[in-house]
Amino acid sequence: MADEAIELFIHSQGAKPKVAVAGPHEVLRDVLVRAEVITEDREGLLVFVGEWEEALTESGEIEDGEDTHDPVDLTLTIEALELHRHRHVHIHKCRRVAVEVHFNGNMKRHRFSPATTIAVVTQWARKKFDLDPAAGADYVLQICDTTKQPRPSEHLGEFVEPPVCSICFKLVKEITPQG
Amino acid sequence: MDKPDQRLFAADLNSAEFRAGVLKGYWGLAGTEILPAQPEWPVRILWVQAAVRVGAPERFYLRLDLEGYRTASPTGTFWDLSTSAALAAEKRPKGKKDSRCAKVFRTDWEGGGAFYHPYDRVAAQGHPNWVTEQPSLIWDSNRTIVDYLEEVHSLLNSGDYLGI
Repeated sequence: MADEAIELFIHSQGAKPKVAVAGPHEVLRDVLVRAEVITEDREGLLVFVGEWEEALTESGEIEDGEDTHDPVDLTLTIEALELHRHRHVHIHKCRRVAVEVHFNGNMKRHRFSPATTIAVVTQWARKKFDLDPAAGADYVLQICDTTKQPRPSEHLGEFVEPPVCSICFKLVKEITPQG
Repeated sequence: MDKPDQRLFAADLNSAEFRAGVLKGYWGLAGTEILPAQPEWPVRILWVQAAVRVGAPERFYLRLDLEGYRTASPTGTFWDLSTSAALAAEKRPKGKKDSRCAKVFRTDWEGGGAFYHPYDRVAAQGHPNWVTEQPSLIWDSNRTIVDYLEEVHSLLNSGDYLGI
C-alpha cells in the first residue's frame, strides 16, 4: 500500500455518512476522533469495517441466521485494518440488527451486521422467498408502516436507533410509472 | 460567486454517498479526460455505469439540468459526448417490454428529453398522480443527486436491461 492518504466513509447510527481522509499509518481511533464521530469516551460503541455480505451465502433452509462480523480494535492502523480495500467504517451500539422481512403472508428473519447494505438485505430476502432472479429484481424493501424505501447503497445501521436494534421491512414490487 | 443551488450541488459531489459510488465505479461527474469543460450552470454532465451487454457501452452519459437543486429535482436525458446532443434512440439503453427499465428510459414521450420517473422534474410536473401512486419516490429537498443516479444505476444493472 502506498503512503498516500485515502478517503474513508464513516457511518453512524441515525446519521448521514461522513467522508474522512486518513494516512495508512494513522490509528483508526485518532481518525474517528478527528472526524468528530467518537469522543475519547466511547463506551458501548462498536466499530466495524467493510460492507458485510455474509448473508448472501446463507443456505435457503436456515431460519433466523446470524452474521459473524466482529468489531475491530481501534488501536490498529488504517493499513493494518486494510481500509484501503474496505473503505467503510461503521460505528454502532448494535452488534447486530435483527431484520424481519414480510412477503405474501410469510416472514423471514436474520441478524445482520449493521455494516450491511440495503442491497445485500434485499438480495438475501429475494433469495429467501425463492423469487425468480429476473422477476425478483423489481422487488425492493420498504420499511414497515411507512412508504420509505431505502436506497440500495444505504447501510442497515443507519436505520436503527439503539436500544432498538431491530427493523421490519416489507418486500414490495416497485411501481412502473404509468399515465 | 456560485449560486446557492450550484454550491449545494458541489457539496453533494463531495458527500460520502456520492464519493463511495465514484470509487465503486457506479457514477461520476464527466472529467476533463472526456469533456474539456462542464457546461454552464445549471447543466452538468455525469456518467452512470451499466451492466455488461453485448454491443452496449459500459457507461452512459447524462446531461442534467439542475436549476433550483435540491428544492427542485434534476431533469435530463442520455447524452452523446461525440455529437453534443441527446443520445440517438438507437444508442439508448433498452429494457424488456413493459418493464420499469423500458418505461423510465422511453423515447416516445417528451422526445426522450427527460426520464419517465418521479424524480425527474419534467416527468413529475406532468404527473401529479404519481405523488399518491409512488409516494416512496417523491422528490423533496432531502433528496440528493445520489438518489437520482442510484435509480438510473439500478435500472442499468437490472435483469430487465437489455443493452442498446
